[in-house]
Amino acid sequence: MSSVPLSWYLIVAALLFSIGAYGALARRNAIGILMGIELMLNAVNINLVAFWRYIEVTGLAGQLFAVIVITVAAAEAAVALALILAIYRTRDTVNVEEIDLLKW
Amino acid sequence: MTAEQVVFVLAAVVTLGSALGMVTTRSVFVGALWMIAVFGGVAALFILLGAGFLGIVQILVYIGAIAVLILFAIMLTPRVMGDPNAPRYNRQWPLVAVMASALASLLVALVLRTDWPLAQEGAPTITGFAVELGKGFMTTYILPFEVASVLLLVALIGAIVIAREE
Amino acid sequence: MAQINWAETIWLLGPEVILTVGALVVLVVDFVRDDDRGPLLPGLTLITLGGAFLLSFTYLGLDRTALFMFEVDNLTSFFRILATGTSVLILLVSVDYVRSRSRHAGEFYSLLLWVTLAVILVAASSDLILLYLSFELLSITSYILVGWLRDEARSNEAAIKYLLYGAISSAVMLYGMSLLYGAAGSTRLEDIARTFSDPAVRVGTLDELVLPAVVLMLAGFGFKTSLVPFHQWAPDAYEGAPTPVTAFLSVGSKAAGFAVLIRVFLTALPMFQVDWAAVLVAFSILTMTLGNLVALVQTNMKRLLAYSSVAQAGYILMGLAAYVATDTSTLNGIAGVLLYLVAYLFTNLGAFIAVIAYEQATGSVSIADYAGMVRRAPWLAGALVVFFLSLAGIPPTAGFVGKLAVFGAAINAQLYYLAVIGVVNSVISVYYYFNVVRQMFFMPPPAEGEEPVRYPQAMGLALTVSLVGTLLIGIYPQPFLDLANVGRQFLAMLPFA
Repeated sequence: MSSVPLSWYLIVAALLFSIGAYGALARRNAIGILMGIELMLNAVNINLVAFWRYIEVTGLAGQLFAVIVITVAAAEAAVALALILAIYRTRDTVNVEEIDLLKW
Repeated sequence: MTAEQVVFVLAAVVTLGSALGMVTTRSVFVGALWMIAVFGGVAALFILLGAGFLGIVQILVYIGAIAVLILFAIMLTPRVMGDPNAPRYNRQWPLVAVMASALASLLVALVLRTDWPLAQEGAPTITGFAVELGKGFMTTYILPFEVASVLLLVALIGAIVIAREE
Repeated sequence: MAQINWAETIWLLGPEVILTVGALVVLVVDFVRDDDRGPLLPGLTLITLGGAFLLSFTYLGLDRTALFMFEVDNLTSFFRILATGTSVLILLVSVDYVRSRSRHAGEFYSLLLWVTLAVILVAASSDLILLYLSFELLSITSYILVGWLRDEARSNEAAIKYLLYGAISSAVMLYGMSLLYGAAGSTRLEDIARTFSDPAVRVGTLDELVLPAVVLMLAGFGFKTSLVPFHQWAPDAYEGAPTPVTAFLSVGSKAAGFAVLIRVFLTALPMFQVDWAAVLVAFSILTMTLGNLVALVQTNMKRLLAYSSVAQAGYILMGLAAYVATDTSTLNGIAGVLLYLVAYLFTNLGAFIAVIAYEQATGSVSIADYAGMVRRAPWLAGALVVFFLSLAGIPPTAGFVGKLAVFGAAINAQLYYLAVIGVVNSVISVYYYFNVVRQMFFMPPPAEGEEPVRYPQAMGLALTVSLVGTLLIGIYPQPFLDLANVGRQFLAMLPFA
């Protein structure tokens, strides 16, 4: 058995998730918000791989799940950045508080 | 402390410290550089957990693709990103900070209280994970594999339709 | 390694195979022929959707699993029929709209097919990995469709807000899923249920993990179904999106959210019903009350319908909150949810189709511009009145039957206060629906714009189908009640329910 207990990994993941959530909810800049979301997804991946290592052990599900999460994160980032560029082109801003045609 | 514990603590400090740097720095560009350090720290944690293949995927996709994409977007929007005096947070940020701290303590308490059903066997029996992953995606997990390919195609079409100059 | 019988698998996944192949064919034809205005692309899309719709009926009564994690059971069949039927109606109203406003018709139709596929996948997944992936396929396709009008600032902004809210809530949901995976050591819903029904596990502290995991997952599920407080995206996305896409979000995407609620809670966590049902009751009350109160002050038709559809989600959720496993009567809460979804499909789509037709003719979605509508478009105004009657739950319409089913389920489950709050909310909603009716019938029209409103035949057909459906369910609900009851029969086949 490893000398690092499962709970250490889970604590790092919980803290990283909360820091990411803070970034996602407090930032004004759409790209800053997106970066916060990426941290949250990374935190979940730590959880998944740690559970795979200490609990599932014989299967593949945890790591496969993490691969799928990474795929989704990449697809989401591509669409988000495309939208950000489209908005920048028409409105000259990427700050969500200035995107005010619709109530935020 | 064993060597493994030392490495873990180092990786954890890099990950969490860079994450704090990322959300507190004024410049989004500097934030993106901190974010790359977070991705690196997480990759180190994966390798420590015996998921070496995933650690490499993490570096290739997160640092090689997502971080580069974000840096591109930052540099393509210079009039906003270049302004050093722009406030970094919205008006609710103190409230959000309290909520995030509360979330952190709740989640930490939750994972510490739980008696996780730890496996008896010790380390995972699978060796050569890249091979097993490939087999998994061609057998039991073939449906997620196919759906992921549809997802990537959809994202590709969407990004082109939305962002292409006309 | 398990062997896959491919012939059988392709048959079991028939509608999904048709949708995927159809979407690819549409893309290729669009690329080769560069003919965005002709009837070829919508025709191909319609054939694909129609084929998938008809084929979906042949799986009723089956209980099989395709490719280890796709359940071909009655719940899936129900949502296959619902999703493809919805998309047929959305397609009929999109043709003219897309032709006049976007240069990428082919891509739009292929995305419409894929978003339909995503709804079905979400409803059918019995593994957290596939569930999460399908959920994100649905979300990302929706973000793109909301931002489709790339040169309209409103559309882009609605899309980026929708995306940022959506990505945060799905990350929270994913954290909840990872906790369930940690507890069970498996991502299969069945294995999670088995873990928690094991008496040795049930006494431990693992039990205490369930409620936090449920709350975290509800952030994602509640986002899709637009439950308060995860509804903030809805008014903006509804207002900014191309209106046919708004119609899809309010019906198809919402139905997928309820499918996943039913699937996950009843398959993986039936033994914790006391816990999650209490959470759902709170969400239901909050959602219908807030949705209705905010709808009272809206001046934009699309925002009004957005808040109205938030409130409707509260009523629908009542059925699941009031579900009693031992109750096998027709007023069982799950049948209520499914019946309400069908009623809501015809009603809400109908209302949106009328709004689209009027918007195409007048270019406005402001409620003030509905003044004097009856003189310009008497049929449209008449149909809109029927849809509003149905949304308010007044007989003889579909909405009345749907409300009867979920309120009845609440009473059967002895949640009397929940049923009373539902009735009070329905009364409040009458006020804002009839405010619009008053505008349409009793206010003088503006000086300009006296000419009659015209709309294409396809839109007229979709409007007629919605109108007939709304009235038919109201007057003769039996066949739809039967369909809803077939849909919930998947419950009898669950190992741990």
